[in-house]
Amino acid sequence: MNPLVLSLLILSLGLGTTLTFASSHWLLAWMGLEINTLAIIPLMAQHHHPRAVEATTKYFLTQATAAALILFASMTNAWITGQWGIQQMDQTIPTTMLTIALMLKLGLAPAHFWLPEVLQGLDLTTGLIMSTWQKLAPLALLVQIPNLNSNLLIFIGLISTMVGGWGGLNQTQLRKVMAYSSIAHLGWMILIVSFNSKLTLLALSMYILMTTSMFLTLKINNSLDMNTLATSWAKTPILTALTPLILLSLGGLPPLSGFMPKWLILQELTKQELPLTATIAALSALLSLYFYLRLSYAMALTTSPNTTINTAPWRLKTNQNSIPLSTSIALTAMLLPMTPTILAI
Amino acid sequence: MTPTHFSVSSAFILGLMGLAFHRTHLLSALLCLEGMMLSLFIALSLWSLQLDAAGYSSSPMLMLAFSACEASAGLALLVATARTHGTDRLQSLNLLQC
Repeated sequence: MNPLVLSLLILSLGLGTTLTFASSHWLLAWMGLEINTLAIIPLMAQHHHPRAVEATTKYFLTQATAAALILFASMTNAWITGQWGIQQMDQTIPTTMLTIALMLKLGLAPAHFWLPEVLQGLDLTTGLIMSTWQKLAPLALLVQIPNLNSNLLIFIGLISTMVGGWGGLNQTQLRKVMAYSSIAHLGWMILIVSFNSKLTLLALSMYILMTTSMFLTLKINNSLDMNTLATSWAKTPILTALTPLILLSLGGLPPLSGFMPKWLILQELTKQELPLTATIAALSALLSLYFYLRLSYAMALTTSPNTTINTAPWRLKTNQNSIPLSTSIALTAMLLPMTPTILAI
Repeated sequence: MTPTHFSVSSAFILGLMGLAFHRTHLLSALLCLEGMMLSLFIALSLWSLQLDAAGYSSSPMLMLAFSACEASAGLALLVATARTHGTDRLQSLNLLQC
């Protein structure tokens, strides 16, 4: 892509999210979300491949619907209460409509059906941007709304964790696996947002870290499905040894840093007298853990029966910058002892 | 709920139902999206009359600018879909199934 156009689109992505972060008026927040959608559409469709164009069309339709619903909910609130403040939205009907609109925008169950197909149609870099950056602005809006309907949010959260777990079990395409992993992690974030929104932001930042590591790993190995992942051990042996750490961190196992958000969320749910919710959420995390384990088996713990074309391929120096990957892997594996420091922020 | 509020809300919800239940053509989904944006534009325009405040008079124009950009992006995607898939029928958007 023309570097000028590429820099314009990436700067617009940054502008849209920053605008939504900085706004206290619903119209401005909606504009930030629209700028984000419009900026990522050319990035998604840049290859003009039929699958990419189809993914872009589906993404555009869902995001446009969700943005219109957000504007309608804030308009209804304005007609009832006479003001447009984000943090002064306390009527139940607009708040519920807004929750549903943000559910559609983020890809939470039961409005998650677009996410695996859209992510499947994108290349890995754009998929990374869509999985991580595009989740920031809607969640920033969600944590600011004052009285959220906690029953609805707990329902959405539990359904999302279960759908993310069960949906990912039957997948061989890695982008679809990452899509279902995204649904499950967003479910965990939504469970706790009406009780302690700091934990939502903590879970979001850990999720972004882990997903970045995973996508960059897939990009270096250039693997898009499990068979390719299984034969990529010969390309980068050190990365092959580290990828199970990323996957188990995504699964939420101690002593890796993915355990931190799940632990704190379960603790907060128990403090709020919701032990059944906490149990169901913890059990549904086992489903996701199964397919993360399957990926780490395929990549590092077993040798695939398919052979690589040569007996040992040349390990050529790749042009990709490996510093982001090394930093994010270090953080996804070793951030758990810093939990008290992170909680104090 | 005032009659104005009711009519604007029902226009939006009708457009939303049309967008949610679109069955054949992508173009009908884009039309319903435009209908939703139009109802929001009318609501914003009547809003400054509701408040008797002139400060909100420019917000419908801003909203219209953004919805026009969104509509043009939608149409560009319609053209791209027609180029790659040959038609805008929704049955042909099935390359990405599980």
